[in-house]
Amino acid sequence: MMRTDWRDHDWQLIHTAPQSPTLHMALDDVLTHEVGAGRRAPTLRIWEWATPAVVIGRFQSLRNEVDAEAVQRHGIQVVRRISGGGAMFIEPGNTITYSIYAPLSLITGMSFQEAYAFMDTWVIEALGELGIQAWYQPLNDITSAGGKIAGAAQAHRGGAVLHHVTMAYDIDTTKMLDVLRIGREKLSDKGTTSAAKRVDPLRSQTGLPREAVIEKMIDTFRRLHQLHDDVLQPGELARAETLAREKFSSPAWLADVV
Amino acid sequence: MHGEYKMPGGKLVVIDLDLHNGHLANVQLSGDFFLEPDSALHTINVVLTGQPADADEASLVTTLHAALSSEVMMYGVSPEAIAVAVRRAVRPGSDA
Repeated sequence: MMRTDWRDHDWQLIHTAPQSPTLHMALDDVLTHEVGAGRRAPTLRIWEWATPAVVIGRFQSLRNEVDAEAVQRHGIQVVRRISGGGAMFIEPGNTITYSIYAPLSLITGMSFQEAYAFMDTWVIEALGELGIQAWYQPLNDITSAGGKIAGAAQAHRGGAVLHHVTMAYDIDTTKMLDVLRIGREKLSDKGTTSAAKRVDPLRSQTGLPREAVIEKMIDTFRRLHQLHDDVLQPGELARAETLAREKFSSPAWLADVV
Repeated sequence: MHGEYKMPGGKLVVIDLDLHNGHLANVQLSGDFFLEPDSALHTINVVLTGQPADADEASLVTTLHAALSSEVMMYGVSPEAIAVAVRRAVRPGSDA
């Protein structure tokens, strides 16, 4: 497969009104397939969250990662995404989440480590323009001197790569530690004993409203790679709504790894 | 029974299992690693189930390598890391 560059593609932007956690999971599934099949041009999608959620990775154990009683008490929905990686605690307004759907040709010949860093080069640049010196921390984190800013995950499906990232804009650390089970083994080579210390959110680092940070990121992507405003096609949305209902809301999928 | 191993420079690898007549049973691999295709998770669980409880790391690694096709891609996890997690699940309190 011939390697392509960002500018070889006609990048589309989707940024809609807030949507449910299960619909976000389904949109990643549908849009990755659409790009892989060549029916949709490569796309950057910025997520807006309608409700709080814990998003666990494809291979994470529901029981080991999530405190079932705490999520119920806080009214937080737990969903499983199609990519690997770790659990994310989401509250509307507290995170910036985006997905990139690209043909596999964009990362052909790259190691996983190279592909993760490559897909977020534009974000590192955007953060730099916001005054944050950030870098890629293998395997899949964006970090700064103050701590972790974001976590990425990729999945390959039918000729396309899904690369999605959740960035901490602001974070209720107490609530996060209440709902996520973060074990000691996981932190054993991180050099910290407190999970709370590991995150350094964008709000305190930039002093900017969340919307301004997103606007800056979109500007940077547009300048580097070019970007055209787009919307979800009715067929894409309809299929995502079906998948959200039948797959991503189902106990079988959520507990696929008990 | 439960074993965890944080692969150096990698991800958390977790094994939950039971022992049945000296063999591994109900083996469940989980963690925050990356695996392509995702069906490889099921393959690994099936391959480990039925292995002798006293199988050492080297033999578990050999078994996993033999079962996984060259198409399977792992990031933050490896047959070696899975084998360590299995040993930790079988022998709680041991370092390996």
